[in-house]
Amino acid sequence: MSSNGKKWFSLNLGAKPKTSGGSCSCGKNSGGCGGNGSHSHESKEPQLTEEEFAAAAINASIGEERTKDGFDQVFDVKMDRRSAFKKLTASLLIGAGAVSTSCSVISGEDSKEKAQIDWEEQFKGNYKLMNDEEKKATVDRLVRSYQLRTGKNISMSSKNAEEDVLFGYAFNISKCQGYMDCVNACVEENNQDRNSQMQYIRIHEMKDGKGFNFDEADDNYYHEVPAEGHFYMGTQCFHCDNPPCVEVCPVQATWREDDGLVVVDYDWCVGCRYCMAACPYDGRRFNWSKPEVPEAEVNKNQHYLGNRMRKKGVMEKCTFCVQRSRAGKNPACVEACPTGARIFGNLLDPESTIRWVLENKKVFRLKEDLGTEPKFWYFMD
Amino acid sequence: MNRNLYKYILVGLCLVALFSCKHGEGEYHGVTERIEAESKNYHGTPISSEKYLEGLETIEISEDGHTFLIPDRKGQIKSYACTECHSKPLAQMQSKDLKKAHWDIKLNHANSNTMNCVTCHNPDNMDELKSLTGNTIDFNNSYNLCSQCHTKQFEDWKGGAHGKRIGGWAPPRASMTCVNCHNPHKPHFESRWPARFNTEKVKERE
Repeated sequence: MSSNGKKWFSLNLGAKPKTSGGSCSCGKNSGGCGGNGSHSHESKEPQLTEEEFAAAAINASIGEERTKDGFDQVFDVKMDRRSAFKKLTASLLIGAGAVSTSCSVISGEDSKEKAQIDWEEQFKGNYKLMNDEEKKATVDRLVRSYQLRTGKNISMSSKNAEEDVLFGYAFNISKCQGYMDCVNACVEENNQDRNSQMQYIRIHEMKDGKGFNFDEADDNYYHEVPAEGHFYMGTQCFHCDNPPCVEVCPVQATWREDDGLVVVDYDWCVGCRYCMAACPYDGRRFNWSKPEVPEAEVNKNQHYLGNRMRKKGVMEKCTFCVQRSRAGKNPACVEACPTGARIFGNLLDPESTIRWVLENKKVFRLKEDLGTEPKFWYFMD
Repeated sequence: MNRNLYKYILVGLCLVALFSCKHGEGEYHGVTERIEAESKNYHGTPISSEKYLEGLETIEISEDGHTFLIPDRKGQIKSYACTECHSKPLAQMQSKDLKKAHWDIKLNHANSNTMNCVTCHNPDNMDELKSLTGNTIDFNNSYNLCSQCHTKQFEDWKGGAHGKRIGGWAPPRASMTCVNCHNPHKPHFESRWPARFNTEKVKERE
């Protein structure tokens, strides 16, 4: 048993250590590198100011939870007896499993490694607080775990937000014909649960002349489209710049990345569904059952914050296909749309097409008065 | 007394104004302000969609200050060059004893007062298109033909509001040209059934 600068305790189960978690490059071994990626440039400033800044930021935001991570964040907090027992039981089960496999002479190297991975995954910290090495380590573990369980290889990325990128989206109401090719593409790209037929995108069929009347709109039509006297508009997660869902999350399992994507750490989410209630756009989905995707249909190009396999009892939602968008591609819905109603791009690039749309077309956003600042605009020809 | 009261109110108002500007989202009032401020010193990103364009034959066009790539067209037309068959003037080719061709093309674009084959095709030079005034237009730049009537769509297409990107959002920009989505002989989109129907949603709402 050792913890060589890691944020959680490791069991040495006889399996060869794959990667060393290593301590943060800034010398601290808790609380990340003085903030998330956005503050990395801060480190060029003198030591004292950085520390002051970090301390102020910590106090202002989340207090002591900020300085604790991994094991400490789970156990070194005040909690009532019931939750303490719950956490202890869960951890003990995993620990017992780990010990029994490691002591067993019959169990193979594989099951020992699996137990080791389960242990490390149980006590890993919030993805938001991880440094790049830790992100890579958890991604490697998840890839290896998938390989051990299914015998199949996946690729998973932990690519961070790029500087000078802020993602935005525009939807042309006069172009959408209601074909729902976007919905299909989204489900396939993002490994959504096939049993509950989870869909991030909703296409609303609205009567001409009634405006945006969601009460009378139909988001589950099945007839030849476009229907006479109707228009179509799609909604999904709008990746608000002032996201109410992030504000209400009691465990900070959801946050806004530097490139504007609002993401969820599926391993940190406790499934309280506050965010679902807080979202004024019905952008979030909950896994009531274990998501099932036929092995042949699993999209193996994954991102930790994106389309990797989820589990029962966690939230998920559109991520603008983070696994695609951070690689320069358009989200699957944009690529699939046969009418060109969907436009995606970098809001900070003055030469981008999304900027041309915002500057030259008459654009509006849904429920603008709420102050959520969605980065999803609607326009007409 | 009154003057003091006014002073307090004034100070109070100033304080309210000061603090009411503090939203949760930090420095900016809204995302529009943020975009404006943060794009002022935009240096570009290392992300490129070049690798997604590999294997696609493209040509670069420059219209009204918008420079971007569109797919090559001539290589995509199955029977180009047209003169390989159209070796004789049209009148001679329409005779009975010659093999029939283009039976699958039925013009469904505007009405017969406005358009027929020779509105766009040049009967004297089948390898090129022609403008309304008789100027030659290359098959690769056929958008110049469409833009004669569809001026609004042309403006939107140049800017990026009409049409579709190829590759990805990242530069360099490659966009579909008109004929990649619209059949020039029948440019409207067909009505059809939606790609899927959510039966679970129906159950949930029962």
